[in-house]
Amino acid sequence: MEPRDNAFWVILLSFAIAFLLAIVPFPEWALNYRPQWVVMVLIYWAMALPYRIGIGFAWVTGVMVDILDGSMLGLNALALTVVVYITLNLHQRLRMFSAVQQSGLVLALAGLHMLMVHWMKIATDQTVSSNLFFLLGALSSAFLWPWIFVALRQLHVGFGVK
Amino acid sequence: MYADSRFDYLDRVRYGLAYVVTPLYWVADTPARVSDWIDDVLVSHQDLLEEKNQLQEELLLAQRQLQLLASLTSENSRLRALQAASQSVSGQVMTAEIIYISSDSGSRRVLINRGARNGVVNGQALLDAHGLMGQVIEVLPYTSWVMLITDVRHGTPVQVNRNGERAIARGSRSTAPELELEYVPETADIESGDLLVSSGLGQRFPKDYPVAKVTSVHHDPGQPFAVIKARPLAQLDRSRHVMLVISPVELNESELTILASDEMSVLPSTVTKPSADSEPSASSEPLVDGAPVEEPNAQASPAQLKPEE
Repeated sequence: MEPRDNAFWVILLSFAIAFLLAIVPFPEWALNYRPQWVVMVLIYWAMALPYRIGIGFAWVTGVMVDILDGSMLGLNALALTVVVYITLNLHQRLRMFSAVQQSGLVLALAGLHMLMVHWMKIATDQTVSSNLFFLLGALSSAFLWPWIFVALRQLHVGFGVK
Repeated sequence: MYADSRFDYLDRVRYGLAYVVTPLYWVADTPARVSDWIDDVLVSHQDLLEEKNQLQEELLLAQRQLQLLASLTSENSRLRALQAASQSVSGQVMTAEIIYISSDSGSRRVLINRGARNGVVNGQALLDAHGLMGQVIEVLPYTSWVMLITDVRHGTPVQVNRNGERAIARGSRSTAPELELEYVPETADIESGDLLVSSGLGQRFPKDYPVAKVTSVHHDPGQPFAVIKARPLAQLDRSRHVMLVISPVELNESELTILASDEMSVLPSTVTKPSADSEPSASSEPLVDGAPVEEPNAQASPAQLKPEE
């Protein structure tokens, strides 16, 4: 077995796809339902490989999201760090959960992420407070979670990511 | 995060990291480009002929108007030269395309596919074929963020085309992409249907570009100011092809220096493009820049000092 054969590139690839999906144009009516792809992918890898995907990785991912979104540097980084911290604390229980229970937790985490980003943006005067319909994105994330989970599981096992 | 909001040394970090993420935008934009390309390729001969005829008619009309405009422009520049004014109405433009729209519902920003490498600087105005769209607020290597005029934090200095009444058009707080005229007295002569053009005050936007059309004027006896709403003329949610204008501040500066060097020179209307690595000269404050600033021609220019007979 080669020393570098832990297929880390699969993780990077999954994140690249998540970034792409996060900036793909959405129709106007569906903007509020935009799923939190990056959050979901991050939760999966933090749950599956807690020794590899940690808080530092989450922070770097968040900085990338900040650049993509044109928001203040560190805003998404902080929110994603909190999300991953919670996931890391819960990862052993999370693995035992059924798909529905996992979806519930993803709903909570994605909602927390969006709320934190929203509040920080208001506090730093980057946006104005509007209605909370954007939280529907957390709902669509939770709805998509079982499929994301299966897909990432396939990648994980298929490529033997360790 | 705090550092980014208070200091600007992190701008360089953002600038560098933008190199990493630019390919992502490029890939995400591919479907739109492919559909454009398919539209271009799969056109019938008949459609092309019709379009050609229509364009020729439009060209004729436009040329007729251009002839009128040319005489007006020369007359205008003669009058301005008499006054030693240094404002140019026209400027050079650079075409760009919108490649990403911010998904944040509370702020209206778009990303365009021109950046510092193409000579974009902070504060440049963005137009589409119908009117003013916004201004550049952050320049990255190959892309730039533009704040639209309908953003709540954006104020556009405008004047009514009919009578020159001045006002500041701010982005509306409601979800509809509208503008609201701020602090307009009850007695102001503004009616619904009036055309608002950019006034050039604040020195961010070029003068006399159409901005919006007044849709409703509401006089509330309990309020000190009238509530006036306007609809932007630019197709903010439909346009993909846009134009960047070299900002009027640079025009004035370059012309002023030319005036200072040669007293007798008539106003040159040609402007050099800023070099690609020029630093953003204007402050990066994206807030209301419509404070009534003095016209740049108030600064003493040599022609003004000439004694009149």
